[in-house]
Amino acid sequence: MSSPGTSSTIDPTAAAALQDALGAEHAALWVYSLILAFLPAEQLDRARADEQAHRVLRGAVEQTLTQIGTRPVSAQPAYATPKPVTDGASAAAVAVVAETDALAAWRSVVERTSDRGLRQAALTALTEGTLRCAQWRAVVNTPPAIPTFPGRP
Amino acid sequence: MVGTGALSRRRLLAGMLLAPPALAGCSLGSSTKDTAPDPLIALADAARADAALVAAVVTATPALAARLTPLRAARTDHAAALDAEVARLAPSATATPTPARAAPAAAATQAAVQASVLASGKAAAAAALSLPAERVGLVASVAACCATYAAVLA
Repeated sequence: MSSPGTSSTIDPTAAAALQDALGAEHAALWVYSLILAFLPAEQLDRARADEQAHRVLRGAVEQTLTQIGTRPVSAQPAYATPKPVTDGASAAAVAVVAETDALAAWRSVVERTSDRGLRQAALTALTEGTLRCAQWRAVVNTPPAIPTFPGRP
Repeated sequence: MVGTGALSRRRLLAGMLLAPPALAGCSLGSSTKDTAPDPLIALADAARADAALVAAVVTATPALAARLTPLRAARTDHAAALDAEVARLAPSATATPTPARAAPAAAATQAAVQASVLASGKAAAAAALSLPAERVGLVASVAACCATYAAVLA
């Protein structure tokens, strides 16, 4: 997002995909703020680093949308988790869900823009998110830890 | 996101069903584009080469099997998916996958696997920048998967 190219080539389709990605980033940030209270101490540094990565992404998307004259979607006050978060295992599981949703959103941005800079930025987000997702999949022991087709619906 | 992907895939399938059979063998590009090889062929060959290299490394060092077997499976799946996409655009072309390049005799090591999958990921990422929308998702996923294996194995 740091170099989205000429903003005029980010068309409404790409902007809508970016809004979806922003929604996924909002949700991921909410999830990390929730699970920090449940994760074991040795996973807190990773969770905080991941949360920070999502915060940077969120800021970049909001800035890009604003630059092209689109109002960024707001975060919802709360999000529904597929299963209740009650302990370390369920906390890591919901991190997997949040990261998986974000991967789908970023792959969709890749597919829905022809702007080279935006496509590169979205591919970077997809790639970096795949590592985060893999680390939480390893925690919850979901093989293969690294998804074979990250972001595929 | 799931709904959107499913919808666009359905739309794509519908479009293929509606296309007259006579057009099925024609690519959308101009005749000059037809002469250039499909860039996904090289990516599929790289996937096969990575899988073959992993197999050679695991044979040489069975202790690495647990660590590298998921990568071998992933690269095998990548090759199949890329082959299918190549065939989708060129159904009349005979499928002749290039035999995987022989694994370097002197370097059947985890480091060689890491370097190979890193290069494969970079090649896929480079290709992704100029592919049409309906093909880029697969290649982007391949790039992200390879880059992550390279990061973990480094």
